Amino acid sequence: MTKRLAVVTTVYPYLADRFLDGYAREGRWHRADMKVVSLYLDQKAEGDLSGQRAAEFGFRVYPTIAEALRCGSEKLAVDAVLMFGDFSKPCVEVFETYGRAVPVYHDMQLSGFQNAKWMVESARRLNFPLLAGSSLPVTWRLPDIELPLGCEIDDALMVGPGEPNHALEAMQAMIERRRNGETGVQAVQMIEGDEVWKGGDDGRWSKQLLTAALSRSDTPQGLTLNDGRTQDLVASGELPRLVRKPAAYFIEHRDGLRTTLLMLDGAIKDFTFAARLKGGDILSTQFLLTPEPEATYSACLAGKIEEMFVTGKAPYPAERALIVTGTLESCLGSRSQGSHRMETPHLSVKYQPPLNSQHCRS
Amino acid sequence: MLISRRELLSGAAVAPFLRAEQRPKIAAVTNIFFPYSHAQHIVDRFLEGYGWNGTHHHPPMDLVSLYVDQVGANDLSRDRARRFPGMRIYPSVAEALTLGGGKLAVDGVVLVGEHGNYPTNEKGQKRYPRYEFFQQIVKIFRESGRVVPVFNDKHLSWNWEWAKQMYDESQAMHFAFMAGSSLPVTWRIPSIEMPLGAVIREAMCVCYGGVDSYDFHGLETIQCMVERRKGGESGVQWMEAYRGERFWQAYREGVWPRELVEAALCRSHTLTPSRPGFHNDFPSFDDMRRLVKDPVAYRYQHHDGTLCTMLLMNGLLQDFNFAARIEGRAEPFSTEMYLPMPPARTSLASFFSPLVHHMEKMFLTGKPSYPVERTLLTTGLTAAGVESLFRGKSGNETRYETPHLAVSYEPRSESTFWRT
Repeated sequence: MTKRLAVVTTVYPYLADRFLDGYAREGRWHRADMKVVSLYLDQKAEGDLSGQRAAEFGFRVYPTIAEALRCGSEKLAVDAVLMFGDFSKPCVEVFETYGRAVPVYHDMQLSGFQNAKWMVESARRLNFPLLAGSSLPVTWRLPDIELPLGCEIDDALMVGPGEPNHALEAMQAMIERRRNGETGVQAVQMIEGDEVWKGGDDGRWSKQLLTAALSRSDTPQGLTLNDGRTQDLVASGELPRLVRKPAAYFIEHRDGLRTTLLMLDGAIKDFTFAARLKGGDILSTQFLLTPEPEATYSACLAGKIEEMFVTGKAPYPAERALIVTGTLESCLGSRSQGSHRMETPHLSVKYQPPLNSQHCRS
Repeated sequence: MLISRRELLSGAAVAPFLRAEQRPKIAAVTNIFFPYSHAQHIVDRFLEGYGWNGTHHHPPMDLVSLYVDQVGANDLSRDRARRFPGMRIYPSVAEALTLGGGKLAVDGVVLVGEHGNYPTNEKGQKRYPRYEFFQQIVKIFRESGRVVPVFNDKHLSWNWEWAKQMYDESQAMHFAFMAGSSLPVTWRIPSIEMPLGAVIREAMCVCYGGVDSYDFHGLETIQCMVERRKGGESGVQWMEAYRGERFWQAYREGVWPRELVEAALCRSHTLTPSRPGFHNDFPSFDDMRRLVKDPVAYRYQHHDGTLCTMLLMNGLLQDFNFAARIEGRAEPFSTEMYLPMPPARTSLASFFSPLVHHMEKMFLTGKPSYPVERTLLTTGLTAAGVESLFRGKSGNETRYETPHLAVSYEPRSESTFWRT
């Protein structure tokens, strides 16, 4: 039977279009057997599309979340919820009121750790499937690699531009596959400026892994923009010239694994990762963000959401997004307190990764 | 450099460099060298190194000489020669190969006959001097009594007879000759290979670009896949090109399988949104008609019956997508040959990296990674497409019999596209 979806959102999300108009999946234009029946919009942005979409695709825009989930009736009247922004509490309230809960996709980008944790616990308590996170962990990879399940990781490093949340999430999707799965984060530290370069010289992060990660980048800045040349940004010493505000996020996991996120705005414009496994093998890849506005990478995420709505099982645990949210929050806390190392006893988030790869590869 | 154990064990395959640990000397013969030109992408990878297999790889060879046919205002070759004193610029192809002496003094030649100001003929073919440069290269080989491997960027020549002559000479003189563009060797999304020995009924590439330019890339996209079919390559019998209203009529009548066009389009990352306000929707036939002002199709049949179609659909997409109907599979087999294309999407044309990787491999082993017959055939197909369009424009029969394209060859069993 066609699933009825509610969209609960801050502004109209293009990801919702995937459930209205279909998306490319495994070489076919796929239309989910689902229908968006209601939408709650928190902010009417300029050029808002929700009215237009509602008229064309025959759904209603409701003034409250409860009404969107009830579709004007006196009971929960949808089979699944697409949530963008932190509307966990009103949504769960409706589930509790009517004694029934349905699968929820939650981008979990702007929730604080406590809210995110509450949502993950609510999902467990009320027994509804919850998928959280963004497209980066599930998009295409160049090359198409996965860390072997149960591997032992010596060191891992992620590089990205812009905001750190997606980069951190992509790294987490890789390292959660290590032996015994995720054990939680014990301590974090975030440093900025020249300290970041000093950290590289002192061996706090691996230049070898940075070289490996950047070897996967298609967007080196600086001299490449001038004349198209290839660059070894690490060996050439160009990085400090290109990156005005470098930031390093050091993450100590409870099982002893230490990982680093380097945000190198100005040096590159894509997301790359490298890890050294026990025994010395280095694996590296780029998480491919395809061009805008088509943003075909979001079809990869749409596929995962649809899978959960159909099977009633989240293809990967929401704890991934939860630990990322908490880690990031603590890193920013570290920065605001003089960039000191900060213990994170609250981040005892344990989970096992999915057995199979979840990114787009077919 | 990845060289298989089998290649190492077979003495014949091993060039002297593997044993002597000597660095091969390479000459580059180019049309013109400016930012983001093919010459820049290729030569820079030898000089500066490039990201490969998870590190910044420096080729174990030296590009010691460079010939540049046209030096423009935005020339970079002089800058590169200054920054890399190990590379000298020579005023002629011959001197680049002899390093100014009397005899061949390099161990490999890269010929990059792309871009630059060259005349265009009445059929719209740009008369790039690849054949002319090739003749100067083999002249030095003859005079020196020694041959070395040659890599030719893109197709062999705009002129089929000349291309065939280039091929015949490489065979007669027994030197390793490899050619083509990045399309067969770049990333694929998804990262899949045509099963060796597949029975292919129909194959399709939906791509973009111009006639006598990107059409070649589209044809290579198809050929590197279909050559793996059962029986190997048998050559092409005829070619028919469609343009403008004839294209739409053929599309509507199902001259080529719509199912494969749709499969190919579903691999594209650059489909132009067909409706305002939508970012990634699937175009209807009418949307396509509206978006694509000058569509071009090349449809051709191989001797064993396999039918192929290459569509240039400027305005609809900006990438190269392949689809095929394979016996025993309910769904089309499809993938994208992914080009991280600067300047809009990337800063680095990383798809030149696997191409240079295969050049390096040939210079070290003396063996091409893939058969030059592929490029010979796609060179002929490009010229045949242009010919068919030209005949149509002059009001003549567009179906063009191609007995000269009876190019048969066996593919390499191993995959040579970028996956590491």
